Amino acid sequence: MSLETFASSRALSLGVELEMQLVSTHDYDLAASAEDLLRVMARKDVPGDVKPEMTCSMIEVSTGICNDYAQVAEELEALRAALTAAARKLNIGICGGGTHAFQDWSERRIFDKPRFHYLSDLYGYLAKQFTVFGQHVHIGCPGPDAALYLLHGMSRYIPHLIALSASSPYVQGKDTGFESARLNSVFAFPLSGRAPFVESWSEFEAYFAKMSDTGVVQSMKDFYWDIRPKPEYGTIEVRVMDTPLTVSRAAAIAAYIQAIARYLMIERPIRLSEDDYLVYTFNRFQACRFGFAGAYVHPETHEQRSVADEIEASFARIEQHAIELGCDEVLGELLKQVRERRNDTAWLRERHGAGMSLPELVMDQCARWMGGGAM
Amino acid sequence: MDQLIWPAWPLPLGALLPVAVALVLTALAGEAGRRIGLPRVSGYALAGIVLGPLALGWFDTNDLASYRLVVDFTIALILFELGIRLDLRWLVTNRWVVAASAGEMALTFVLTYGALSLVGTGTDVALAVAAIAVGTSPVILTHVTDELRAAGPTTDRLLALCALNVAVSLILLKLLVGVLHSVHAGWQLALLHPLYLLLGPLLAGALIAAAYLGLRRLVDPNSEQGLAALIALLLAAIALLSALRLPTLLAPLIAGAFIKWYDPRPHLWPQQIGTVGGVLVIVTFMLSGAAVSAGELFAGAGVGLLAVLVRALAKLGGAMAFGPVSGLDLRKSLALGVGLMPLSILALLQAEDVRLLYPEFGDRLLPIVVAMVVVLGLLGPIATRRALVRVREHRRGDQS
Repeated sequence: MSLETFASSRALSLGVELEMQLVSTHDYDLAASAEDLLRVMARKDVPGDVKPEMTCSMIEVSTGICNDYAQVAEELEALRAALTAAARKLNIGICGGGTHAFQDWSERRIFDKPRFHYLSDLYGYLAKQFTVFGQHVHIGCPGPDAALYLLHGMSRYIPHLIALSASSPYVQGKDTGFESARLNSVFAFPLSGRAPFVESWSEFEAYFAKMSDTGVVQSMKDFYWDIRPKPEYGTIEVRVMDTPLTVSRAAAIAAYIQAIARYLMIERPIRLSEDDYLVYTFNRFQACRFGFAGAYVHPETHEQRSVADEIEASFARIEQHAIELGCDEVLGELLKQVRERRNDTAWLRERHGAGMSLPELVMDQCARWMGGGAM
Repeated sequence: MDQLIWPAWPLPLGALLPVAVALVLTALAGEAGRRIGLPRVSGYALAGIVLGPLALGWFDTNDLASYRLVVDFTIALILFELGIRLDLRWLVTNRWVVAASAGEMALTFVLTYGALSLVGTGTDVALAVAAIAVGTSPVILTHVTDELRAAGPTTDRLLALCALNVAVSLILLKLLVGVLHSVHAGWQLALLHPLYLLLGPLLAGALIAAAYLGLRRLVDPNSEQGLAALIALLLAAIALLSALRLPTLLAPLIAGAFIKWYDPRPHLWPQQIGTVGGVLVIVTFMLSGAAVSAGELFAGAGVGLLAVLVRALAKLGGAMAFGPVSGLDLRKSLALGVGLMPLSILALLQAEDVRLLYPEFGDRLLPIVVAMVVVLGLLGPIATRRALVRVREHRRGDQS
């Protein structure tokens, strides 16, 4: 099977997908209610889309193609309001967070759809254990080669995005010590990690053809890379973020990605090199484990500093672009939180640390997401 | 030689040993049921019938009377838990759930009454059976959903409708029996008695809820002390309510719902109560066959089966008619109707209580209820379990 051609898309257009948790309002454990929520949502007139995901206690909501932060925020807010109304009717709790704090993976069941059953047969328990919840952001690219430049350039910002979105310290009822433990579930898949270092689309097509000939992959969907090109949309898709606890934070992170993309596309500040990836997995691990406090090794200078400092420096570089895109104000708020070392994992740990039980914590997560508060 | 230090022959074991053997047999019957893929409660119910006058005759109605407190307490505990799961906020948000419940109950009452009147049971028996048929077994429903760790929209509705069914059935039967036996001589009584029956449990429920929330501040409900406090609270409530001639079982249910309303945090059932409750459920089922004798079963079989059939049609029809507007699809609405089938020891107790007050009337009522409970106590749990597995709301059991 050959790779589809890279569709054209408006440069820097934006699309956001959020995988959400569906929980019971009795015990706040995950509950199989996706089908019912989807049925109720199908009758509503909302922007974007609501789709099933791998297991019956998750759904994916996505915005349409947006121009800027304001539009993303507006569409996500409309989706949140509609989902909340439907969920209240059905007695379901909806919340953000990269993992559910105490669910037992063996109790999950696969959503009844051929692709999900195929994946479940192939991956076995990994498929159920993959009940984790991420935010994906699509960025429109003017052409396929530009997409690959953006992909490799953006991969330097993976630790930043992990630390900003981290919201999964708890897995199976225990604090993992990680700021984002969700990504550990993703790494278990054989085709996870990063895209190969190729700079032109023809090289990428050749790589895909070789992989496809081995029979290991059939489509781009089989790759679980941190960032992957999506030829049918003409975008690159950034997939490392945990689903934040609020839609406002999800919108702010999307705005940050758009501003970085504009900076990369217009200034072309980086000379790409395969050696950039020498520090990639180390940096990513540090961000997952320690969040803002993690170490970040610069791919060229090999200078080490904290992820928080690195994020702060990046805000200075992209400031002009943020102003052009109209998202400087929200990025300012995000930066303020970075300076205070605040992310959703910190919010969760504060509560559980003060003695709140995990079911109560999930209840608060639901109130926070469904209530539509500030990030 | 002093004879008192040596055992007498035959050994004077008294009543304890048979109870012990019966208890283990009931437990094993549940395990046997599980191994062939049936709900444990079906095994318990079968054991209860075998141990009763129908086959082995180890227990009879006198035993039921002497163990009555244990059975009442078990059901009170279960209704309290069921009440905590009844989220009144949700019922306010989605009024269609209440409409579905009301529709299903009205249909059950009217159809059962109509069918029984047609076959000539007499108006009084037809009304009483109809009131009991409105109910659904809380013991079976909570046991089956716990066994499957079921969760989802069908399960939520099943438990909510069960709670409402129990409440309405208890009040309805008390009222009807009062009316039928013209306790309400004079209009003042006719007005006051229903009011007393409604407001009494509400007030008692509010008191229990307040006491529980107060105790929760003093002791951790997950500790031994918390468990003891909860048990004491329910026992006190039962004592007080029986003295006030109010339905003892309604107040714990109402108390649970008030607690969830006042404090929506997850009230997770302490592990220890789960264990204690599990054992009590086995004891309850062990005794559940005590009222089932061959004579009664055969006397009531014909009408009982008719009532079972009509009740099944009414519950299914009600659930399917009102389920979809409340946000369930047709398949899950069907599962909801099927899930509401079980009828068990609570129904027997309702009939038995009527007999205690009005022996002649009770003797005509009990056989029909016994026949219904035999069928729906054995097959009802299987129906509920299959319905929940069918809509894939089980978190334990076969996984796919």
